[in-house]
Amino acid sequence: MIRLASVTKRYAVGSRPALCDVSTEIGAGEFVFLVGPSGSGKSTLLRLLLREERATTGLVEVAGRDVARIPDRKVPLLRRTVGCVFQDFRLLPDRTVAGNVAFALDVVGRPRHVVRAVVPEVLELVGLTGKEKRFPDELSGGEQQRVAIARAFVGHPQVLLADEPTGNLDPATSAEIMDLLDDINQAGTTILMATHNAGLVDAMRLRVLELDAGLLVRDERRGGYDNPDGPSETSPDIDTGPLDTPASTGPLDVPAQRPRVQAPAPTGREAG
Amino acid sequence: MRPGPLLAALVTTLRRNVAMTCAVVVTVTICLAMLGAGLLLRAQAHTVDDFLLDQIEIVVDLQDGLDDADRQALRDELAADPLVVGVTYESKQDVYERFRRDFRTSPDVVAGVGPDDLPASFRLALTDPRDAAVIVETYTGRDGVEAVRDQRALLGPLYRFLDAFTLGAFVLAAVQAVASFVLIYTMIRISAHARRRETAIMRLVGATNAAIRAPFMLESALAGLLGGLLAVGALVLAKIYLVDGRFARQTMFPLFGWDAVWVAAATVLAVGVTAAAGMASVALRRHLRA
Repeated sequence: MIRLASVTKRYAVGSRPALCDVSTEIGAGEFVFLVGPSGSGKSTLLRLLLREERATTGLVEVAGRDVARIPDRKVPLLRRTVGCVFQDFRLLPDRTVAGNVAFALDVVGRPRHVVRAVVPEVLELVGLTGKEKRFPDELSGGEQQRVAIARAFVGHPQVLLADEPTGNLDPATSAEIMDLLDDINQAGTTILMATHNAGLVDAMRLRVLELDAGLLVRDERRGGYDNPDGPSETSPDIDTGPLDTPASTGPLDVPAQRPRVQAPAPTGREAG
Repeated sequence: MRPGPLLAALVTTLRRNVAMTCAVVVTVTICLAMLGAGLLLRAQAHTVDDFLLDQIEIVVDLQDGLDDADRQALRDELAADPLVVGVTYESKQDVYERFRRDFRTSPDVVAGVGPDDLPASFRLALTDPRDAAVIVETYTGRDGVEAVRDQRALLGPLYRFLDAFTLGAFVLAAVQAVASFVLIYTMIRISAHARRRETAIMRLVGATNAAIRAPFMLESALAGLLGGLLAVGALVLAKIYLVDGRFARQTMFPLFGWDAVWVAAATVLAVGVTAAAGMASVALRRHLRA
């Protein structure tokens, strides 16, 4: 679904590359965590997949298409196959929950009857039935992120990119959001989630890609947040993972029932 | 994008930006009213032109005492000239009658002049009235010819007046067009800033460039249309109260008709809408990331 081959991205000529010779492949239906310290290149990688940026060298493929070779006027079509969720939700404050989700369909010209049919379905999926007419500032942080996920998912993208989606949420709410993303993944959507949330990564034990200073320093099949081989500087060996063991990748490898993230005891109110 | 969401986006943009949009409408109105005024002044020049080309002839004043044979010879020669289609003789008495008719509103002038003070003349109708200068040059100084007058030339000051006002109107329109562009540019910048969240999300979920830009272009085109309609209103009022109500009683020349007003109105509206949308498109290239 996603393939990077020797991808390097430099923002300015002569500067340190934000990504350096990164090669990896993510199969359809996989759920992959992207970890690494701030400035390690996680966001750059996500921006390359959306064609918000172009790689300086190397190949970026999404859904079988070489992203760099997509003509400008076809870029919107690429973005319809890739949904996006962010730490800061990015909802429109003057639109209701349903309005925010419908917006994603309206602006790509979907007919009204489709919008009317699909929006309630997706809101049900994310657990917001009954809150369609609320405005974002009337929702908790977790609920706002659910709206954002609904908006990203309503066009049924093949890939969902999540850039620290739990960064603004308390642990309990983070676990709920994680479960929701897991459900979406189980339904077949490939998910690449950049995160600093060690607890979630450790609990899920899914594939982990670790970036450090633009280098891909780890690709672990069932990894935790921390690099088992110690600090990245001393572990140049990269587990090439799916490229070497294709039989173990893809949705078939996903267990039917993953361990759900254990939400900690209720702490009062959700962050919001 | 469907018309419904597009309209909703347009309404949001307009509501957030109402003061700026009003400023654009006012400027565009002045610009287009000037453009329309220029077009009508040009139409007036053409109207006068058409009227004069029909009415006014070349007048060949004859010297007093020219005998009949010489006069007939001159007449034959004029009639044979390929540039001339018609030759009419007016005796001193005929000329005096015409003079009394033309200056009926100025009895003092008429009182001091008798038939003998005026020369008999040939009045020439030309195949193409624009060849008047050639005829004037050919027959001036001929035996028996006192003077050759192109009556149209007498109207030079009128034409200069019309031309100057036309030019003035167009220059003002151009200045206002520059002001309109600056305002539309600013309006788009403010709109794009106010809607940056929406446009960022639109880009993210795969809206086309056309869909992202459409509300801004529509906002500008709508301001252009409103300005155009106000300008057309001003032109219509000017035609009713100024042209038909005042000038028509003050001048013997025919004035431009409603057809000229409608042509100017259509031009003003078309220019208003397309230029405003075009200016918005230029501004969007600067203020909205594709």
